[in-house]
Amino acid sequence: MEDPLGVATVATASPVWEREELLNGCQAVAQGVRLADVDVIAAYPIRPYTEVMDALSKIIADGQLDAEYIIADSEHSQFEIVKHASSVGARAFGGSSGTGWMFGFEALVVAATDRLPTLFIVGNRALDDPGAFGVEHNDAMALRDMGWLLCWAATAQEALEHVLIGYRIAEDKRVLMPMALAMDGAFLTHSQHMLKVPAKEAVSRFLPAYDLGDRRLHPDNPVSIAPQVNEDWVMELRRQNWEAARRAKGVIAEAYEEFNTIFGERYPSPYFDEFMTDDAETVLLGLGAVCMPARTAVRRLREQGKKVGYINLRWFRPFPTQELRASLGRFKSVGVIDRNFAHGSPDCGGIVFQDVRSCLYPLAKRPAMVDFIGGLGGRDLSIADCIRMYDITAKAARDGAPEECVTWIGLRE
Amino acid sequence: MIKRVEVNYRGIFQKMLGKYIGSDIVQIATRMGKVAFSNGRYSDAPERNGIPCKYFAFVSPDLSEEELEAECGAKLDIDEADVSIVVDDTMVKGVEPWGWHGVRPINEKVREKGCLLVVSRHPHDHLLQFIGKKPYSYRLATLEGGASLAGLWVYKDDLTRERVLGALAAVDPGIIAIEAVEAYLLDKTKDARRAQAAREAYEATLRRTRIVTPEEGIDWPHEVPILPKWHEFEETGVVVRSVPRGFQLGPRGQARNDAFKRGTTKTHRPVVRFDLCIKCTLCWLDCPDECFDPTDDGLFDVDYEVCVGCHKCAAVCPIPECIVMVDELKFTDDKSPWEAYTKSPQAYIEWAELKKGKERIAYPHVTGQGVNITEGTTVPPKVAAV
Repeated sequence: MEDPLGVATVATASPVWEREELLNGCQAVAQGVRLADVDVIAAYPIRPYTEVMDALSKIIADGQLDAEYIIADSEHSQFEIVKHASSVGARAFGGSSGTGWMFGFEALVVAATDRLPTLFIVGNRALDDPGAFGVEHNDAMALRDMGWLLCWAATAQEALEHVLIGYRIAEDKRVLMPMALAMDGAFLTHSQHMLKVPAKEAVSRFLPAYDLGDRRLHPDNPVSIAPQVNEDWVMELRRQNWEAARRAKGVIAEAYEEFNTIFGERYPSPYFDEFMTDDAETVLLGLGAVCMPARTAVRRLREQGKKVGYINLRWFRPFPTQELRASLGRFKSVGVIDRNFAHGSPDCGGIVFQDVRSCLYPLAKRPAMVDFIGGLGGRDLSIADCIRMYDITAKAARDGAPEECVTWIGLRE
Repeated sequence: MIKRVEVNYRGIFQKMLGKYIGSDIVQIATRMGKVAFSNGRYSDAPERNGIPCKYFAFVSPDLSEEELEAECGAKLDIDEADVSIVVDDTMVKGVEPWGWHGVRPINEKVREKGCLLVVSRHPHDHLLQFIGKKPYSYRLATLEGGASLAGLWVYKDDLTRERVLGALAAVDPGIIAIEAVEAYLLDKTKDARRAQAAREAYEATLRRTRIVTPEEGIDWPHEVPILPKWHEFEETGVVVRSVPRGFQLGPRGQARNDAFKRGTTKTHRPVVRFDLCIKCTLCWLDCPDECFDPTDDGLFDVDYEVCVGCHKCAAVCPIPECIVMVDELKFTDDKSPWEAYTKSPQAYIEWAELKKGKERIAYPHVTGQGVNITEGTTVPPKVAAV
C-alpha cells in the first residue's frame, strides 16, 4: 500500500541518476521495468516474485508507466502472454519463483528457439516440498541448457540496472534471446536499501527501442511464428541458437562498456567481478548475494595476511569459458559455493562446480578444486561460514583436492 | 559498530506499521550520514492474523553497506538487538511465530544494557510478571498506548509510528536522534503535529525507562526445541502424525500439535459465561483452530494454549455477554475455564465479570479502523447461588 506519509526521496545533482530512494529488491526491479518503458507485463503471484508485480501495478496505477498489465491464471499462461506479446513487437516482462517458475517451463523453453527477447525475473526460491520460501538457485538453473541468457544480480542496485542491461543484450539483433535475471529471494528481493534510480533520459541513451523488424507479427505484416517443423530442422535451429549465444558474448561486453560510459564505472568486467585476487592463491567463486559475506571474509582474512580472493560470477549463460579459464588458472585452489544441488551428478556437488571444473579441465596446470553446498532453502551463509570455506579451500591448495571434494555448509549433521 | 533494532509486531494487523518503522529508521539514519538497511524476517511470511512477526533495521556509522549487509542481511533472524520494540504488549507473554520454533521470551534478543521498548498502558512491574529473566541487566521502556491493529494491507495512521520513532530516539540516540526524527517527519509530511507527537513520546519515554536487573522477571517455562540432524528424522519428507481427537474423548482427552500451539498469537482471549450458554455449538463449529473442547454436560471448554484470539467465537455466539473478548494481559495462566466453572459456578462468574470489566472489544479488521470499544452490560447469573 502507499505510505500515507508520502515518499521521501533525495534529489541528486547527477544528470544520470534522478534520485535516491528506499527500495527493496523487488521494487528496484519494478523501477527498472518502468525505466525500460515495458509495453506488456503479465503477472501471477508467487513469493518472492510477488512483490515485483505488486510494485509494477502501483507504478502503472500512479500513471508512471503506460503498459498493459495482465494477470494470468497461472505461470504457464503468464509466460505464454509475455512470449506472444514479444512476437508482436511489444517489450514484455514477466517473472516468477521456485515451483511456479517450473510450472511455466514449457512456455519458457520454446521462447529460446522462437528467438523472442523477453525478460524474466527469477526471485530464487527453493523447489518445494515442503513449502519453503527461502533462496535456492535450482529454479533458475533449470534454464541453463535451454538457450537462454542467464545472469545473477548480487545487489538490489544491480538488479535494477540489469533489467536495462538485460533488455539491451537480449534485443540486440545479433542476439535475440530471452533473458532470465535471477536474484536471491529474501536477502535481495525483500531487503530495503537506499538505491540510486537512473534518470529516464540517460536510460533512453543506453537502451534503444525494441525492434523486431520484419519478423514482427502484425495485421500489416502477416507472418507465422514457430510453425511445425520436422526432424530435418531441429539440429540447425539448436546450432543457430548456440551461434546467437556466441555472438552474445561480444554484445554483453559492449553493453557493459556503454553502461559504464553513461553511468560511471559500475562494472569493471562484464561476466564476473574479481575481488582482491591479484596475488591470491585461494579463491572462492559464487553467484548472487553470497558475495557480501564472502568479500567481507576476504577482507578479514587479508588482515591476517592470507592470500585469498573472491570471484562473483554474474553470467552463467553464456558461460564465460575463456575468461574464467584465464582467471582461475592463476590460483592454487578454487572453492565453488553452490546455492543449489545437482542430485546424482559427478561427486554429487552443485551445478556451478560441475561447469567450472569442466571449464578448467583443458588447462595443463589446474587449481585444486573443492565444492560447497550451502544456503539451500534460505539457510544462512554467514561470514564465519565463508571463512570456514576459505580454510578448506586453502587446505586443498596445500594437500591437493581431497577425494571427498564436496562439503555441506550449515547442515545439521 | 552496528546498531540492530527489531520491531515485534502482530502479523497482518501491524504488517505495515512494522515495515514503515523499519523504513523510517533507515531514512532517518541515512539523513544523519549513517549507513542503514531494513528487512523483515522472511520466514514470517505469508503472515497469519496476529502471529508474532519481526521487522529489522540495521544502522552503522562506520561500516560500508556491503559489510553491514554481510553482518546482518544474510540471516533469518537477528543475533542480538540494541532495541527490541514491541508494538502490542500482549507479546510480552512470549512469541511463537511458526512450528518447531517454541515460545520464545520477548526479550530473547535484547543485549546487555539494550532496551525492550513496549507500547503499553500497563506499568513496568505488570509487564515483568510475564517476561523471562536475563543473565544481565537491560532496560525496559514503555510508550503509553494500545496495540495499533489494522488489517491486511491496511495501516492505521494514529501516530503510533511517529511516537515509536520518538521513543526509539529516547532509548538509544546512537540509532536515530530526536532532532533528525523531527526534521524527517516535517520534511516528509509538512505536518508539525507528527513531529510534535514524536517529540512528546521522546520526552515521555525518557521518564518511563528503567533498569531491569537479572533478578527480575520469571523463569521461562517454555523449552526451545532442538531441531533434529538430517539423519535423525524419518526419511519420508516431513510428516506430522495426527493426534487423538473426537467428541468421545472429552475436554481433557483432546490432543493437539505440540510443535505449534499458536497461543501467543492472541491479543484478546474469549471469556465464556458457561451459565448463559445455550449449547448451540456455534463456537465449537466455527473456531478455525478447534480450541473448543466438548464436555459431558454439553458445554465447550476453551484451550487457551491454542486459542489465537481471532474473535470468531464471540462474533458467532448468539447470546449477548456469553463470549466476550478480553485483554490477554489480564490473565496469568491458560487453565481450563470449564473446570473452574464446574468447581464453583458462582466464583467463576464473579471472576469472569471482573476480567471482562466494562469494555467490549471488537475489531473490524478490513476497515482499518482498528479496535472498536463499546460498553458492555452485566447479565446476572443463570445458576442458583450455591
